[in-house]
Amino acid sequence: MLANFKISLFFICNLCLLVLANSSEQFDEELSIKSLQDGKVASKFSFKTLLKGASPKDPRTLGTDDESQHYTLFPLGLGQILREYGVTELHLTLNAGNWNYGRWGYPEEKGVGPGAELWVWMGDGAPNSIDHRWKGLRNALAGLFCASLGSLDEQCTTSPVRSFSPEGVLPDWDLPHQIRHASLPSEHVCTENLTPFLKLLPCKSLSGIASLLNPHRLFDADWHGMGIHVLWRGKEGIEVRLTFQSIMDPSRSSSKQKQDWSLQSLFDRAIDRTCPIAHSSLISVSLPSSGAHSITPEPSRVDSGSAIFDVATVPKPFNAAMNWPSDFEYQYDTSLTPLKIQRTLKGSSQARGQLSLVIANHGQVSQQVVYLETMPWLVQFYLHTLKTSVNGAESDAVISNITYIPAIPHSRPTTFEAVLLLPARSTTRLTMDVTKAFLRYTEHPPDAQRGWDLPPAVFTPIHGGQSQNATAGLPSERIYTPALLVDLATPDFSMPYNVIIFSCSLMAFLFGSIFNLLTRRFVVVHVGSGKQE
Amino acid sequence: MEAEEANQGPRWKQSISRLRQKFKGGANANVARLRRRKAMISSLTRRLPFFKFALFVVGYIWMLAIPSPRLGRGTYIDENALQPSQVNTYWNWGDVHAADRYLEQLEALRDVNSTSEQRAHFLETEFKKLGLPASTQNYNFSSSAGLITGTNAYALLGSPRGAGTEAMVISASWLSRTGEGDGTLNLRGISTVLALAGFLKRYSLWAKDIVFVISDGYLDGMHAWLSEYHGSTHKNLQSDPVELTSGVIWTALNIDYPGHSFSHLGVFFEGLNGRLPNQDLLNSFQRISRNTGHVPVTVYDHIDPREAPQKVEGLVSNLPKILQDNPEIQAFSYQAKNVARHIGYQARGRASGVHGLFHEYRIDAITIFAIPATGPHGFHAIGRIVESTLRTMNNLLERLHASFFFFILTDHDRFMKIGNYLPSAVLISIAMMIQGLQTWVRAGWKGEDETKLNEKQDGSSGVTPTQQPKRRPVGRALAIMTVAHLVGLVVFTALTQRLFIENIQLLAPIMFILLATIPFIMANTIGDTGPLSLVLKSFNLCLASTVISIITVLNFSLASSLAVFLGIPLSITSSSSSILTRVIKTALYSMLGFGWLLLGHREILSAVHDWEVLQVWFAPFVCLVYVPLALQALTVCVL
Repeated sequence: MLANFKISLFFICNLCLLVLANSSEQFDEELSIKSLQDGKVASKFSFKTLLKGASPKDPRTLGTDDESQHYTLFPLGLGQILREYGVTELHLTLNAGNWNYGRWGYPEEKGVGPGAELWVWMGDGAPNSIDHRWKGLRNALAGLFCASLGSLDEQCTTSPVRSFSPEGVLPDWDLPHQIRHASLPSEHVCTENLTPFLKLLPCKSLSGIASLLNPHRLFDADWHGMGIHVLWRGKEGIEVRLTFQSIMDPSRSSSKQKQDWSLQSLFDRAIDRTCPIAHSSLISVSLPSSGAHSITPEPSRVDSGSAIFDVATVPKPFNAAMNWPSDFEYQYDTSLTPLKIQRTLKGSSQARGQLSLVIANHGQVSQQVVYLETMPWLVQFYLHTLKTSVNGAESDAVISNITYIPAIPHSRPTTFEAVLLLPARSTTRLTMDVTKAFLRYTEHPPDAQRGWDLPPAVFTPIHGGQSQNATAGLPSERIYTPALLVDLATPDFSMPYNVIIFSCSLMAFLFGSIFNLLTRRFVVVHVGSGKQE
Repeated sequence: MEAEEANQGPRWKQSISRLRQKFKGGANANVARLRRRKAMISSLTRRLPFFKFALFVVGYIWMLAIPSPRLGRGTYIDENALQPSQVNTYWNWGDVHAADRYLEQLEALRDVNSTSEQRAHFLETEFKKLGLPASTQNYNFSSSAGLITGTNAYALLGSPRGAGTEAMVISASWLSRTGEGDGTLNLRGISTVLALAGFLKRYSLWAKDIVFVISDGYLDGMHAWLSEYHGSTHKNLQSDPVELTSGVIWTALNIDYPGHSFSHLGVFFEGLNGRLPNQDLLNSFQRISRNTGHVPVTVYDHIDPREAPQKVEGLVSNLPKILQDNPEIQAFSYQAKNVARHIGYQARGRASGVHGLFHEYRIDAITIFAIPATGPHGFHAIGRIVESTLRTMNNLLERLHASFFFFILTDHDRFMKIGNYLPSAVLISIAMMIQGLQTWVRAGWKGEDETKLNEKQDGSSGVTPTQQPKRRPVGRALAIMTVAHLVGLVVFTALTQRLFIENIQLLAPIMFILLATIPFIMANTIGDTGPLSLVLKSFNLCLASTVISIITVLNFSLASSLAVFLGIPLSITSSSSSILTRVIKTALYSMLGFGWLLLGHREILSAVHDWEVLQVWFAPFVCLVYVPLALQALTVCVL
């Protein structure tokens, strides 16, 4: 009787949950796979949870007790953090490697900067200051994702409004919203970050598309990056999007140069089960525009150049594969993006150097980009030495709208934001002299001889007049340059003892001689011939 | 107990006070102390010639003892991250086959006398076929010897998942280092790099970007590439910018494989201006070559004669049989050969291979030289060794900093630390300084010569009534030195003129004669004054001593050469009245100071080339430091 009651109660609860899930929360998953022109395979996992009708927490109510939070699909750990610190929009990316824009084109998720990058929009007006909440948020996320986000301190925090405009809607609270942005290029991303990421998914990695997330293969990719994006879609509700992008090289493991791939060869897994609570579960494969190729099994439908499989209906275990009859041949005559950016720190001296930027615009039209440089105080700019040239001829018209917040040693980084006008089919060069800081010896990290990682520069193309992204009027892409490594003057930490001994001896010698001279009384003494005794 | 202590107390105090009395003297303590001090100084002064002599002898013997197998110690790996020879290598016969295919194509290019551009274009295409971004770079140097042009090819393997902030370089130059780039081609070295590019791309374990550079010429191509990569400008260099850049380069390997096969791998490490790479790099390579590749390593291309007893040559062959068989003498003669080669490179600031150019940019680099032989090793061995060495370099978390940057490698697995060889040159420079100061004192008194002075002092007073202080002609001595240095500047300017370089056979002897006559002109214009000669000698010795001590920490080989060439000769300069001795002295000192103008035409040409193209400081150093010192010594003799 009791057992029966328990079972029926369990079913009723389950039913309630399902109903609840269907009504207020929606989970969609998608995997898109694309073969690239250099033979590599780009894949993007996207897990989207929509909390219908919800709105971000008003910062004015932060001091009071929050309402209780009941989620079925929405990740609770993340939800609690978002409400605790009153975050309106959050973007966290953990990437490894450099995105090669020329060969791979623009990424589907544009946050591909090396290492960890975190940026949030928060409303002001809370009892605690924004910087205080930002600090708490960093530490909470560091705990949630096992990443060193706690070290994204005020020494690397900036507020670049123009380059990181909100992707969702900001609530109309009559409160100013502010952005906080920080990146940590030296962060190493690995399994310990993927495990908490998977825990946020409703089906974990047990079923559905998420079961392909095999750390052994993902972390062997040429490039991989995970992202957590939280934004408010206005009336629709709050959207949490978890993404995992990777670039894999199918020709690496095979002896022949073939670009054939299958889910099994890429992820070493096939899909055995459907995630039962997913509203939609799709795999889309971009089909090459030309050349002989075959795709198995037959896709559910073909839609604007991509084959789409509905995971819920395909026979299990499901393993999609794509094959080419001929060997792959490399060809690099065309760059997939109009801009090619090279950013280097020249000079081998440990005291000064030169930041050099070469931007080639291969496009047929001139382009405006917002150039953002967020530099830790270790490297300080001499802004008066900023020189710009187009195709070798000096030109000041290239750069305009400069926002410059100079660094404060030991506390604040430099923010340099400017609009560059890049003429069609031209090469623009920018150079600026920099000085490298001389650190206090306690400020050196344990691996002092490695140097310091400098965050990437960010370029945001501005499309004149009509924006390509019609929904929000936002720039649709963002270009990250690779990170830089700077050598600062480093003491030889292996022999502090010798240094102490040498400097102490010198001090003692100088002090002793001077003290002796100052305190000595000089008198005339008759010595005689010396034969008296 | 207490009684005992009470008894002991006074006795203990008594002995102390007795000692104190003995030291302090009876009457006035201050007077006694001054006397004691004087006695000490004069006894030191009396023994100064002995000290000086002892310092010279110890210094020179120490230098001679540097190659001794009893000094120095075995090499070891200091940086724990390196873990050399701890990996399985994957390079196999398929990759050797790929290298052979590349070699065939390169030989075809060689046979049709292809131009630099054609070669670079071929290399760029091959890299691109492998799927690596590649590019070429044209450059030209203008020097007083003419225009040097060429084209480099390079490719970049971005590390998977790496941020591209650090990089390693594998390079091969078109010309081998055999005969300092005498025209021997390094085709197998280039084939190895090309095959490695295809091979290394297949692995995802690289944490650092790998840059493949095939530089044109011998040193000039890599110099142009490195200069552009680091954005350093030279006014006589015009080159294309480097389009593909990676991050900071930490380590570099240069592969030099000129022959058909090889028996040993030689390691070359001296860089421009006497810079050395971190010893950990050498030791790792050495260990890997022995344990992974099973190829013996030697220093330079010196194969140890003990390995092949039938071929006894060099130093040992002139000795009696019983000494030839002595293992210690064999070891000494082999190590002496290595040390002499090292000093030859380092003192002249010359790079012993293409790797030497990297050191300027704080990149640790060595050349792996496959010593041509009839066997038994080839592509298979060198590929595995380079792969494993790259894996070791890939392990680095920081720049190489743990091991030694200053060392003398006496054998492939033995070296001397800086503290064990540096004092030899410093002792000689101290002896010179003592001699200089002594001469300065002598120049200040007239009437007595030094020996008498010492006898009369007799442990008490410094000055006897017969000695009078006299003014030292400091101004005139300084004027002579200024003129000598100006002459050095003129010599240097002349050497770097195209006119001089083209007519060196004629103009160098003329310059020699001019230099040798300048002291006579100076002596005649100033007129003979006894103390001037002494003051000038004293200044000259002090200056030379200071120069040697400073140079020891920068470039020991140069300092020890200076100590050998200048130590004794500067100390025994003196003016003499006899015409014959004057003529002999003039001849000897001229040969010592400017003999290179008569005998070393090739050296002059290469030193000037090194200065103009590579900024090697040897030519200006000789002209602006060494020549003035020799001129001053000569002036002392003729005054």
